[in-house]
Amino acid sequence: MRWATRAGVHIDRAACAWLIRRFIDSQAQFAFVADPAEVPAGTTAFDIRGAELSHHGADCSFETILRRYELTDPVLWRIAQAVHEADLDDQRFDAPEAAGLDVALRGLSMVFADERVLELTGPLFDGLYEYYRRAMLLGREPA
Amino acid sequence: MEQHSHRGGPGHGPGLWVLLCYRVPREPSAPRIAIWRKLKRLGVAQLGDGLAGLPADARTREQLEWVGEEVTEAGGSAGVWLARPATAAQERELAAAMAAARSAEYEAVADQAAAARDAGEAARAAALRRLRGELRRITRRDYFPPAAREQARAAVEALAGQRETRSGEVPAAGAGERS
Repeated sequence: MRWATRAGVHIDRAACAWLIRRFIDSQAQFAFVADPAEVPAGTTAFDIRGAELSHHGADCSFETILRRYELTDPVLWRIAQAVHEADLDDQRFDAPEAAGLDVALRGLSMVFADERVLELTGPLFDGLYEYYRRAMLLGREPA
Repeated sequence: MEQHSHRGGPGHGPGLWVLLCYRVPREPSAPRIAIWRKLKRLGVAQLGDGLAGLPADARTREQLEWVGEEVTEAGGSAGVWLARPATAAQERELAAAMAAARSAEYEAVADQAAAARDAGEAARAAALRRLRGELRRITRRDYFPPAAREQARAAVEALAGQRETRSGEVPAAGAGERS
């Protein structure tokens, strides 16, 4: 399946791309466009104005995708809190790691092209997933 | 934080602004208030009834586009425009008003930091954490930094220096009142 999002990938889009590839479509191909009108035919757009898989109400795009694809894994919803705060910083959740994620993603997007940012952030989100999974099982911060 | 290179100055024309033109139904009030809060958090210049603006860059443009989407979802209408003030004087006025709004926020933080100075260790640590977060959020919507920014930062960080010195941990360099 082909997917499209806005160029200049930041935290929400990087997290969405990881989520899509890992939990929705392992063969996902991503296109990056500057304008919603440039979304190629036959692709599913996300985190772009006018797309179904975008910000809705208080939700960032990552949260919207979790809802639309009925992904109820609590670990993914914990990642969603960090992504939400890094993207929107509206203090809806207590996720102090968000500030660091935000800076790291901003920095990466300054020195690498979008495809490369996705390659680099994939393992980061894999790691976060494992970290939060263990934290939930243990009921405390994993060592 | 991105720097905006379009401050009106001698030899430079006014910079590019991103404007959100919006109308939200009066009822229900919840989405209308959520939208108002969001605009406030972004630090927009309220240019008129249903017209808000920010200095244009990729991030501010995206932020106003999201708010525009939310307005549409709430049953209202919204459009995002890129525009330049017709005169440098108009842009300066806008910038001054935005700087004054941020200045008041920084001063409130500095006052709270001053009030926390004589609190107990735990209360001071809590105030430090809270005020640092508050400063970070104000700075994010601060497009024309006023002098009050550095004063607020110094007042908040003084809480940290004080805490370290009092608890006998590594004192901040130059803050050797006790060692």
